[in-house]
Amino acid sequence: MPTYILQRLGMMLLTLWAIVTLTFFLMHAVPGGPFVSEKMLAPEIQAALNAKYGLDQPIWAQYITYLKGILTLDLGPSFKYPGVSVNKMIADGLPVTMRTGLLAVIAVVALGVPLGIIAALNRNKWPDTTVMLIATIGVAIPSYVIATVMLYVFALRLGWVPTFGLDNWRGYILPVFALSGFWVSFVARLTRSSLLETFEQDYMTTARAKGLRPGQVLFKHGLRNSLVPVVTVLGPVVANLITGSFVIEQIFALPGIGRQFVLSITNRDYTAIMGITIFYAAALMVMILIVDLLYAVLDPRIKLSEASA
Amino acid sequence: MSDISPNMWEKLPQDEAVAVKSAPSLTYWQDARRRLWANKPAVVSIGFIILLILGAIFGPFFSPYSYSDQNLKLANIPPAFDTYAVTDGEGNTTRFFLNASNFNLYEVDASGHVLGIMRGERKDMLKKQQPFEIAGQAITLDYAKLPARILSADGTELRTSGWSWNMTYLFGTDQLGRDVLVRQLFGARISLTVAFVATLVNFFIGIFYGGIAGYMGGKTDAIMMRIVEIISTVPLTLYVVLLMVVFDSGLLSIIIAIGSVFWVDMARIVRGQILSLKQQDYVAAARTMGASTPRILTRHLLPNAIGPIIITLTMLIPSAIFIESFMSFIGLGVTPPLASWGTLTSEAVETLRAYPHQLFFPAAAISLTMFAFNFLGDGLRDALDPRFRK
Repeated sequence: MPTYILQRLGMMLLTLWAIVTLTFFLMHAVPGGPFVSEKMLAPEIQAALNAKYGLDQPIWAQYITYLKGILTLDLGPSFKYPGVSVNKMIADGLPVTMRTGLLAVIAVVALGVPLGIIAALNRNKWPDTTVMLIATIGVAIPSYVIATVMLYVFALRLGWVPTFGLDNWRGYILPVFALSGFWVSFVARLTRSSLLETFEQDYMTTARAKGLRPGQVLFKHGLRNSLVPVVTVLGPVVANLITGSFVIEQIFALPGIGRQFVLSITNRDYTAIMGITIFYAAALMVMILIVDLLYAVLDPRIKLSEASA
Repeated sequence: MSDISPNMWEKLPQDEAVAVKSAPSLTYWQDARRRLWANKPAVVSIGFIILLILGAIFGPFFSPYSYSDQNLKLANIPPAFDTYAVTDGEGNTTRFFLNASNFNLYEVDASGHVLGIMRGERKDMLKKQQPFEIAGQAITLDYAKLPARILSADGTELRTSGWSWNMTYLFGTDQLGRDVLVRQLFGARISLTVAFVATLVNFFIGIFYGGIAGYMGGKTDAIMMRIVEIISTVPLTLYVVLLMVVFDSGLLSIIIAIGSVFWVDMARIVRGQILSLKQQDYVAAARTMGASTPRILTRHLLPNAIGPIIITLTMLIPSAIFIESFMSFIGLGVTPPLASWGTLTSEAVETLRAYPHQLFFPAAAISLTMFAFNFLGDGLRDALDPRFRK
């Protein structure tokens, strides 16, 4: 187990280095410098700016400086907002993104799994058809469409929730729903099919034959075994909630990292784009590692060393 | 078992033998086609996709407008409206409708063609009224209280004479007075082009990469798959975003961006297939006969892996459409005045409060298309790969 974790951590560092390198050279391949804008700057000012941000040095020197910065968890200054560091940008947006993201993950588990159970227990009856219909809709419609339509209906037309901001709990409803919509549907479908498969197993028949109560059969024998694939998708869920948050935070004007990222893109704030990308990658890898460890705890059949192969 | 009587074992006469002939043997493709046709949602989806493709290719030719023609006088016109009719002394009727969100009156004909904006007299800012002279009568537009009302000369509220579809602009116009229908169709063109070309690029890269990794095996495979693993640690959308920042927005760059990233899924599928197929006897036979590696790959391995490859391809198309519209939505996609479903949606969000109908068409178009491709993908999966059937 410890060797496995060490191995994974080593792999993570390698991956992170690859991503840092990739984003660094991608961002430096952008034609024109970061200070090229409509306003022509005097050559002296341009040179001074370049010197301040170290852009007058050869690219390898810049790369080494950047790597050193990453090692000390310093993602450098923003090019567009003088005096603001990328670290601060991320730190400012993190609480909002974390809160909505966490709520969305909770929604995925708390809505998706029960819906899937209901559908599986009532196979081919109306609850099943309803759940599967909703799930099909949720999987097919893009999150930004769900978000804008809900914004119109619930915020503008009915006025139940605010159109933007997170001043009270109502503000969270639409963003969290729009963010988790796809994965609630996905997890519901997954739980349903996984549970139906488990129902056909011999140990389920045995459990029923032993005279266990239906609840016990379902929760102790059925659910525990069928939740393994659900836990596996939680890694991708987190990954996709992150990309989903770009648009959702934009639509609902939430001051999170996703909105900051999109803003940095429109501002062409290259250090911010790089920094946030690297932050996302690191956060994700930690998350996926946690999910993998959880996976092994849930399903003792899986040996961690095998999972790495 | 007891009801088997001895006479059941008697030989059938020649002409009755036909009746008990076994079901016709079907090839893999015949069987798949039959199963696909039996799947109603998939068939409907195929029909929808064909219509969409035809509409995207030929639709714009039938419209007098192009996607970039602006007519600011006829901006934000809805696809349907309540018309008012005013008749003058000689029996000539003037029809018009009120755009409730910008307080303009537009003249229309009896069948619903928009003739133009109506010029009124100076607005009375204090009373929030604007007088018009229509068909010789004094008509007042009163927007002191919302919703705005039309008052006739004696101060009573004018009743609508019915509603009609907008026959000039079937889907209405956007905030620059561009025809929404034509922009929709162009959006479909962009989205479908991106989807198909990017999927094709993914197809070739994925097959090449996955094929080599799977066939070579060993160290090559391990290294190649590690690279895929590293790439797919970060959500693929993030790479597309980064690439779009580097490339500058545009149709070609978004195709390249999507095409150069999303092949990893395809590579995985192909590798898995090749890995299991290369142990088959016919591969060994081909190799003993001296067939070259490319020949074995293209003639023996890939054709046998075609089912899962097609399924992955159909699943890739909706995600490509989604990524393109997503990029356009956050402002990294096609450049204006080109329209894609993503830009149309984000433009509609800007005017959501006043003109919600502008959101309806792009949202419906992308949702229906995603539905269609999803159903088609599911149908193909069930048809081509019976193991997946539940």
